[in-house]
Amino acid sequence: MIRLQRCAECGAAQYPPREACATCLSERLVWQSADQLPARVLARTRLHHTNEPRFRAVLPLTLGLVRFELGPVAVCLLAGTVVPGDAVQVRVSTDDLLEAT
Amino acid sequence: MTARSYAGVALCCAVIEPYVRRSDHGAAWFLARTLRRLVEAGGVRKQDIDGLCVSSFTLLPDTAVAFTQHIGLSPRMLEWLPMGGACGVIALRRAARAVQAGDAEIVACIAGDTANETSFRELAANFSRFSREAVYPYGAGGPTASFALIADAYMRATGATRQDFGKLAVAQRANAARNPRALLRGALSLDDYLGARPIAEPLHLFDCVMPCAGADGFLVMPETRARALELPFVRILGAIERHNAFPDDPVALRGGWAMDREALWSQAGFGPRDVQVIETYDDYPFISMLHFEGLGFCPPGEAPDFVRRHEFTIEGDRPHNTGGGQLSCGQAGAAGGYLGLVEAMRQLLRQADGRQVAVARHALVGGFGMINYDRGLCSAAAVLGRA
Repeated sequence: MIRLQRCAECGAAQYPPREACATCLSERLVWQSADQLPARVLARTRLHHTNEPRFRAVLPLTLGLVRFELGPVAVCLLAGTVVPGDAVQVRVSTDDLLEAT
Repeated sequence: MTARSYAGVALCCAVIEPYVRRSDHGAAWFLARTLRRLVEAGGVRKQDIDGLCVSSFTLLPDTAVAFTQHIGLSPRMLEWLPMGGACGVIALRRAARAVQAGDAEIVACIAGDTANETSFRELAANFSRFSREAVYPYGAGGPTASFALIADAYMRATGATRQDFGKLAVAQRANAARNPRALLRGALSLDDYLGARPIAEPLHLFDCVMPCAGADGFLVMPETRARALELPFVRILGAIERHNAFPDDPVALRGGWAMDREALWSQAGFGPRDVQVIETYDDYPFISMLHFEGLGFCPPGEAPDFVRRHEFTIEGDRPHNTGGGQLSCGQAGAAGGYLGLVEAMRQLLRQADGRQVAVARHALVGGFGMINYDRGLCSAAAVLGRA
């Protein structure tokens, strides 16, 4: 399950997961589900090429860069109608990827 | 605190182990061949090389350490610089300081990689922990998918168009036509560029480098030694590096150069206008535009206008990536981080054969590399001058 981390000492949120807080270096990190979190879309790409044969059947794929209101930035799948600037909700999809809708 | 100058240090013997699309040889073969070229070009014995800087992706699991045994060298100074597109300028900095401090007298700086059917996929799949966990599962687009997201945001923020990117790519291909070492020398028109198939929109085929095998290298030594060896040389007038710059920028619309640009030009004693040759790390044309902004050739966000107002061919007013850059030469892994530096040396030493820029006294070399997660983490630049 994809999760963010919150620092128990300074409260900073981070993603991808780390071994220490990138703000204050504390190792006291607690998990927070990424599901249902509000975010904003920063950028979008339509992917037509993959390095892995297993993905060929799902191309083209629409990917985005989103920023959670909590601060961290994540690469995710974008629902078809979503464009940069949109406020979205991020959920963890059934194939354990982040998806913004 | 101001960095000390690089006075007294000579940069000599720009060599290239010709790039090939694929190879059955390992990275060590390309690196050893490059070292031999340096020994021959420098007129020194192999054992005279007492410092070594190495960069490679496909040498792994070996590093520079294993490579010393592989080739039978016993240096007293050794650097392993896995810094991708910034490794050339950073090798130059490490080598120059070692020479100034007396930790080594003749430092060989080499970078190279092999390429085969699986090497690029393996590299992309395991590039970093963050990318393996939080990027690659999203379609395995590799670096182009990640840079496409930055390019999309950059176009929205600055008004840059595909025509702007294409102008740089087309000019570089024209330069490559005069470089027998470039793998892609066929004519490329703006229509060809615009009509190419999409890879990860807004990036299309001719925005992307072609992975290949090859290596580049140079020697760093005291000017006194270069003179004794009767080697023509280039001076380092300024050099900077920065890692993980501006971590709070939500999208990396700038590299790290802005943090140290003033120190760079102050050390050089002149500004971007006094540079006749610009060599950027062009893993995508829009990354060259980030160099122009970050290094002061134009204000932030105004590279599209800069591109529209200038010409980037050998005879243009802003000769840029004069050997064709990676976009036309190919990207031989870590050697891509040396390509611009070696080309700048050739231009300043007047060894650029059929592509010599008429007046080449000063050159700017940029380095940019390592997309660990959502941005390139290493930025570097050097200003070089004819001795």
